[in-house]
Amino acid sequence: MISAIYDLALTTGANRVVRGCRIEHVCGNPDLGPDKDREYGMRIITTALQALTTEVSGPTLFDPQGASTETIHAS
Amino acid sequence: MNKPVRVVHYINQFFAGIGGEAAANAPVTVRHEVVGAARALQAALGGEAEIVGTLICGDNFFHDERERARHAVREALRSLRPDVMVAGPAFEAGRYGIACAEVCRVAAAEGVPAVTAMHPSNPGVMMHGREVMIVPTTASAAGMPQAVPPLARLALKLARREALGTADSEGYLSRGIRRVGYRPEPGYRRAIDMLLTKLNGRPYVSEIPYQAPAMVEPARPVAELRRTSVALVTTGGLVPKGNPDGQTSGNAQRYFRYSIEQLQSLRPGEWEAYHVGYFTHLVNKNPNYVLPLGYMRELEKAGVIGSVHPYAYTLPGVSTPVAQAERLGLGIASQLLEAKVGAGLLVST
Repeated sequence: MISAIYDLALTTGANRVVRGCRIEHVCGNPDLGPDKDREYGMRIITTALQALTTEVSGPTLFDPQGASTETIHAS
Repeated sequence: MNKPVRVVHYINQFFAGIGGEAAANAPVTVRHEVVGAARALQAALGGEAEIVGTLICGDNFFHDERERARHAVREALRSLRPDVMVAGPAFEAGRYGIACAEVCRVAAAEGVPAVTAMHPSNPGVMMHGREVMIVPTTASAAGMPQAVPPLARLALKLARREALGTADSEGYLSRGIRRVGYRPEPGYRRAIDMLLTKLNGRPYVSEIPYQAPAMVEPARPVAELRRTSVALVTTGGLVPKGNPDGQTSGNAQRYFRYSIEQLQSLRPGEWEAYHVGYFTHLVNKNPNYVLPLGYMRELEKAGVIGSVHPYAYTLPGVSTPVAQAERLGLGIASQLLEAKVGAGLLVST
């Protein structure tokens, strides 16, 4: 799931969550200008595909901006 | 005085006194008398109702020969013509609980209202708790004296087609049904009263019960993305311009499926977000923000993914109750599975 409200997605049990930009433009950012926006959008999508091929044991955040993958343990 | 209500009671081999596991393969039998546990029910019903038949079936038979069992129950209902069907109580017995719930479903399909009773953790509740009326009981049959009176009371109400109150007030497990109704106090007053009660440390009951999210076991990772068909799904309420199918702008009642097979990217002016939960002007300018087809086509051409599934799925997620969302999600997932889709990207606004 790609979501700007990624923390909500994680606490409600989505297992592979990709951090989107903002609610109004989840898969990109118009403020960056067309080229950078495209680049950013592509990074979000490739991060999502990477998430699909990654083994997870519970709700896990995949962040296109940072390289780190964070595991959130839902309470 | 009114004519007594006609009741048919379903019980298993054990509660009929036929035997335990050794008798679990007994087929459905119809007794035109009050047998075993049905005596307790008849006592609780008093003179207002008459048990005109006791249906008895072995727990194994009901599962191993499900169609025959259901058929026998259906035939018995047609010949006995009861006003209401009662099944159980099944307590924590899994096979029995599922059979009781199934019997209630058969009755409902025949136009006969039905009620059963079992422990809330009985698999019968998990499988059919949304469609069958179930009175909660203790885990063991020691709770029979407490379980039967509410079962009898509900049976009489159902038989007389009386209006029922909420699950809580009537003493059955919630089926997740919400009905429009009136309360004497307006919402703002009830909210402030509840807040004051809470601030004063007194117990209060929320009008919106907390529903803990169901934890789903993670799907196994996709082994070969380059051979996988990937579907696009969004809760952003994206529809073809003009909203031709009349999607609601929130509280989704159904989901929509649109062919994207011929498209390379979603063009502004051809799609619009119909959704009251966010400002949609940016998505209307670039629909790929919620349904990223453009990127997916590039990745498809580059051989990173096998293909983009030819249909996109969409609904407006805002104000959709969890139970409803679950139902819609299951519908989408089963269609994707049927189409041999190996993975999905869900963009949530």
